Amino acid sequence: MEITTVTRGNGTVLSLAGRIDTVAAPMLEQAINRVMESGSRKILLDFSGVSYISSGGLRVLLASAKKLKNTGDRFGLCCLSADVLKVLKLAGFTSIFSIYPSEGEALAGW
Amino acid sequence: MPGGNEPLLPLQWQPVPGCGEAMVYPLIRKVDIVSSNSYLVQTPDAIVLIDPGGLPDQAAHLASIIRGIRGEKARPVIMMLTHAHVDHFLAACSDPLLADPGITLFAIQESGARSLESSDRQVTQAEMLGKEVTPMRIDLRLLEAARERAGAPVRRTFANGATVMVVQDPLESGLPHERIVVGDGPPLDIFHTPGHSPDSICIRIGGLLFIGDLLVAANPGLAGIAGWNRDALIRSITGIQELLSRGGITAVCPGHGRVLTPDDTARMLGAVQGEARLLTGVAELNRDRARETAAFAEDCMEQVNELFTVMAGRLYYVSHVMDELGETEIAAGLPEMIRGEVIDDLLDSFASFTREVHSGRHMPIALALKGGQVIGKLQRTFDQEGLAQIIDPTLVLRAERLLGDYTITFRGFSLPRDIAEHDLNALLRASLTDHTVRSSSDDDVLASADDHAAFGRLLLARIGTSPLLGDVEVTFGADSKTLTVPVDRERFLDLLTYLLEDLVGTGAKAITIHTGKDGDTTVVTISGAGCTGRPGGGIPRRFLSGLCERAGGTLDSCEAAGSRQFTIRFGTVL
Repeated sequence: MEITTVTRGNGTVLSLAGRIDTVAAPMLEQAINRVMESGSRKILLDFSGVSYISSGGLRVLLASAKKLKNTGDRFGLCCLSADVLKVLKLAGFTSIFSIYPSEGEALAGW
Repeated sequence: MPGGNEPLLPLQWQPVPGCGEAMVYPLIRKVDIVSSNSYLVQTPDAIVLIDPGGLPDQAAHLASIIRGIRGEKARPVIMMLTHAHVDHFLAACSDPLLADPGITLFAIQESGARSLESSDRQVTQAEMLGKEVTPMRIDLRLLEAARERAGAPVRRTFANGATVMVVQDPLESGLPHERIVVGDGPPLDIFHTPGHSPDSICIRIGGLLFIGDLLVAANPGLAGIAGWNRDALIRSITGIQELLSRGGITAVCPGHGRVLTPDDTARMLGAVQGEARLLTGVAELNRDRARETAAFAEDCMEQVNELFTVMAGRLYYVSHVMDELGETEIAAGLPEMIRGEVIDDLLDSFASFTREVHSGRHMPIALALKGGQVIGKLQRTFDQEGLAQIIDPTLVLRAERLLGDYTITFRGFSLPRDIAEHDLNALLRASLTDHTVRSSSDDDVLASADDHAAFGRLLLARIGTSPLLGDVEVTFGADSKTLTVPVDRERFLDLLTYLLEDLVGTGAKAITIHTGKDGDTTVVTISGAGCTGRPGGGIPRRFLSGLCERAGGTLDSCEAAGSRQFTIRFGTVL
């Protein structure tokens, strides 16, 4: 999986491309942790290029949401494919973090 | 050196028990469908190669061993096949030493000889495994019907200098039997054991019994192949069990897998025979069925993947909420119920194998077998009962049913259909209620407030089983009060759940269900509006259509920006 990290305004966008499987999930976790260690507390994951997420990937999302729950923190996902959105919704994750149709709509509120 | 009941050591010469100077060299491979084990036996008068296998590297290794021992003492080579399947013989074509009639005498049961001489792609499984076969020269036909029970020894001399005495005896242990003696060497007892294939034989040399594929003959992916015969298999196993019970055999050498003790073999043969007895009506496993089974494996696995990911996600979610509530001990234990990392690894390995099949690296039968292997492991990996108490039990039930359906298909059986007349409107109303109302009411929760354990259970279930349609506006309309049609109730309800999940999962804000008649046809439409997920994706239509057919109907679907619609049609004939 490829992860591109870009700063946008006062947030950081991680654009993901590929499958979030057993190999990619730890990579994603490390990338999110690096962003947090650099001091950014507003993180948006752009799922435009993600066709599949494993349970390991879900665990990483949950762990990240848990770390970003202080006042002023933001953690969100945008541009989800139908398959990924469905898994998140059925797993109950949509009540834990915000999901946006596009990057612009997400960052507008941050 | 091993002896007695110790297993044979691979890739080493060691004495053949009870057989004078004879030595055996087992080449035991990791089990696969590409190549079998091979066994070399040398006596002062001959070198016997049982099953050269299916790979050129294997043939080259065996040929180098044979060259080495022929360098010490020149002797004819007798190559015997336990049966004419490509994974047991194809290597014989790739090495000049094995193909040279001046060195190697090629022996096989007579129906196998016919298959090899005519390059029969079906019986040799070349068609199934995508291999090319060319006509082969056979020197010695074993267990020829024309000589059956003639009793008189026949002496034959071959181009490689071997003088072979063949004596066809009466039935032994109920099996057609022939004894072969090369020079002054120990006898080779050949038993006809059809079932896995018409030409299958077992070979006894001293205390060793070479049994080919008898132990795997009832396995899914093998039962039903061209030439397979259930009744013959059952009889052959009875004969070999009788032979083992007489004693004198110290090790059993299978075509695939490790060398076994006679006791283990007898026990395993009993299980194979029991399995074979259940295989009435098993469909022929040909290339078309292998392709269909592989496609079904792919579809099932995609759904299994999603169901397991959702179940694991639900558990993580429940664990997260419990952690927030300060119940850290309960929170920590929950993810263990599904062993997400093991499941992810299994599903990843299947996905990567599927890509290899699509790129042409493997044949469809390999994907069908991989599906069987992965599903078997998945079935042992999650705690169904415990999960169903916390997360939506229909998720768990559907996962179980999918795994079961694939196992049934893989074994060569048709999936059972329980078609009976039901009122569709009543089924739909009940299902919609189940998907809208919480499994435990607020009153239940209040009533359990004084019982910590009961409250904990209800709380977990309440967090884990958020109703699918809880946040969706659902409208149900029916043209008539009742609508009785022949339908498989369970499969229809599964289908309905998959379709509703598809709509809810892609963000539908409102779902409309309508039932009515169109002439003799009963029509159910399920539409979702306000879908926010990007178009495309969703459950593969082939999977949904197959499930709908098993439910007794046919399925159409259409998709537009922001909406999806499914139409199910039922005929009126049972």
